[in-house]
Amino acid sequence: MTAEAGLHVENVTKRYGALVALDAIDATFFPGEIHAVLGENGAGKSTLMGILTGFVTPDSGSVTYNGAPIPVGRAFECKKIGIEMIHQHFTLVSAFTVAENLALARLPSLYSLAHVRDRAKPSLAAAERLGWAVDPEARIRDLSVGALQRIEILKALGGDARVLVFDEPTAVLSPDEVDDLFRVLRQLRDEGRIIVLIAHKLSEVMAVADRVTVLRKGKWIATSPLAETNQTQLATWMVGELPVGHVARSSGGGQPGIVAKGLSVKGDRGEDSVRNVSFEIRRGEIVGFGGVDGNGQVELAEALLSIRARTGDITFAGVPVSPDHLRIAYIPQDRQTDGLAMGMSIEDNLLVTGHRNLSLRRGPLLIAKRVHAWARGLVERFGIKASSPEEMVSSLSGGNQQKVVVSRALESQPDLLIVLNPTRGLDIKATEYVHEKMIEARNGGAAIALFTTDLDELYALADRVLFLSRGELREEGGAAALVGASR
Amino acid sequence: MKLWNVAGMAVGLVLVLVLTLAVFGLPVGPSLALIGEGAFGDKFAIARTLVKATPLVLTGLGMVVAWKGGMYNIGGEGQYIIGAMFAATVVKGVLPNPHPLFGPLILVAAVVGGAGYGLLAGWLYVARGVEVVISTILLNFVAVQLLRYAVTGPLQEAKRQVPESDLVPKALALAKFDRQMDLHIGTFIALAMVVVVWLFLFYTRAGYRIRLVGDNRNVARANFIPAGRVQLLSMAVSGGLCGLAGGIDYLGPAGQLGFNFPQDWGFLGIPIALLAGLNPAGVVPAALYFGALFAGSDNLARYTTAGPTMIFVIQAVAVLGFVGLSTLRLRRKTAAAGAD
Repeated sequence: MTAEAGLHVENVTKRYGALVALDAIDATFFPGEIHAVLGENGAGKSTLMGILTGFVTPDSGSVTYNGAPIPVGRAFECKKIGIEMIHQHFTLVSAFTVAENLALARLPSLYSLAHVRDRAKPSLAAAERLGWAVDPEARIRDLSVGALQRIEILKALGGDARVLVFDEPTAVLSPDEVDDLFRVLRQLRDEGRIIVLIAHKLSEVMAVADRVTVLRKGKWIATSPLAETNQTQLATWMVGELPVGHVARSSGGGQPGIVAKGLSVKGDRGEDSVRNVSFEIRRGEIVGFGGVDGNGQVELAEALLSIRARTGDITFAGVPVSPDHLRIAYIPQDRQTDGLAMGMSIEDNLLVTGHRNLSLRRGPLLIAKRVHAWARGLVERFGIKASSPEEMVSSLSGGNQQKVVVSRALESQPDLLIVLNPTRGLDIKATEYVHEKMIEARNGGAAIALFTTDLDELYALADRVLFLSRGELREEGGAAALVGASR
Repeated sequence: MKLWNVAGMAVGLVLVLVLTLAVFGLPVGPSLALIGEGAFGDKFAIARTLVKATPLVLTGLGMVVAWKGGMYNIGGEGQYIIGAMFAATVVKGVLPNPHPLFGPLILVAAVVGGAGYGLLAGWLYVARGVEVVISTILLNFVAVQLLRYAVTGPLQEAKRQVPESDLVPKALALAKFDRQMDLHIGTFIALAMVVVVWLFLFYTRAGYRIRLVGDNRNVARANFIPAGRVQLLSMAVSGGLCGLAGGIDYLGPAGQLGFNFPQDWGFLGIPIALLAGLNPAGVVPAALYFGALFAGSDNLARYTTAGPTMIFVIQAVAVLGFVGLSTLRLRRKTAAAGAD
């Protein structure tokens, strides 16, 4: 092994517009080690992984593998030199058999007509070596999620990958499957491969990694052998120091608001996302739900809105929550998928809540004049930078798009306000404004559920703080609980 | 910018016409003259253009409403036929006493028939998950066969000799302005519907919801807007407009139902709507262009070997060109947004 063996990342920077996704990152991944890259959503993990595997071209810096620069930004070329990525969302053809999918990893040239079985052979051999029973004739669509991931890994091994980058591989697995995956990761490591594990769950990193690199907000924070660190240390690296000296402001003495009892919610894949949680948010109170993304926030928020199926009771002032007799406003997590109609104007997007507003319509008709004036007023009051409300929302910057979502939610003077990461991507001024408006809504008697991964925001706004960890609520934070350390 | 787009499109459409003529081996100059004469030569020609454009305006509007709501209705033809059949049924019912006041009732029946047929496809999607594209295409065939059954059965003419319905009595036929001209009041009904649909889409709550659901269902869901019901509405309105087209053609130019009653106006509504950029106002020039082509090519066919086939080629080329251009524009836009 030469000094240069391994995958070296040097001084790599990647910007998306004004956002610095990676800021002069250095990292080295050695053969024969499982190297975890740890960080919250938005820390830059995905970008780094994209650069390693050729899906993303860095703005500056270099990546070398065994001393030679990798073909940056060219995923197919990277595959050829043995760098493979195991995607979180599987890249399998569901109508094909296992063997056919495995054969895809080794495309024949135009002139050679290798049989599917022959081309799948190296992958099937790898399966045997790893102790996996695989039926080559099974159809992909009939397999479980855990099995699919195995096929995905075998596909990579069929091309004799030397570097395997795993993108949050345990997200979809059951505990037994996780243990089996870890066993395989170790075996692949012992075969001298480089294993890169992208993760945000501390417990898994503790269980399997040899070395850890922590990123936060695009910056390199630390790299350390696992043995020389501990959970608390890693958690602090991930989320920063917890703000100290926080005092609860509200005694929760307002009128009764939303009460959730024994709430359980399933996620999109049918997994248990929220498990038997109970809490109360009174009017005039902001309850903050902290915790890292993917611990049940979206599912719990949507259940509170009654737009996702659930078991358990939700009432507001004693009656079931329903948009008919309650003003409910929602600031979703992902503005582009759930918040905005990108093909429509700013005004049309404001109307998402505004079209219920009785002062803007006469019976079924919208009164154009009043709608225009109302929209212009909101654009001005919330400082949405646009030439006119008729401008397409897609032409706005991310921050201004978020302002559209926030302004229409707060404008309706809601009784119940559900908010997910409301200031993501906003500048300081806009952030302060949104915070101010939320406090205003709180003082106006709204019951507010604030889901945020930003600790500063959580402690700045919330009257009471709860933490979501793997779909369960805990009263006490602590850095370790934040990142879902318990299993 | 927007004006440029329209101007560019107009130039493009003329270019497509010239190219097609050349490919068909026709002398471009004289052929254009013949088409122009047939479409705009005198008031009779203009009337023919308007009459041909009338059903295109209505089916085009129908497609706009459905597609805006994210429902890719390909079933304009079937809705057009069922609308006409509903109208013919009412006509048959009031035949003993054909009073002109029944006219509006007959057109309402056409709207109801088309709307019901559109709703059927909408319900299949919302309640059963059947893709609208598939169900509406298949329902077109069903409508054609229903028409064949009707004109050889319940709606057949009194003597029961030919597979046609009775002629619409004069009192019920759409009012004409001049005995020698084809122009009838249906053209103005269609133009009025342009305004109605435009107001509906942009100035009513229901129209807003249709546009919102069509653009992003998730936003609707997150804001308690019942997307399924909204999409049912868009299919009903869409089918109603196509049904109205059928009713007008039945009471106007056709005057009776027969095997050759369907003239593909329902299908042609799709390219019209696309060329109009799914904007109700754009439907008028798009429908006029093709109405003029149909009227003009009849004249061309009288003196040359060209027939209506050529028009379909022009339509196809124009739509493909337009779709290609919009895709390019979209790609450039997303590329610009991606760099953001």
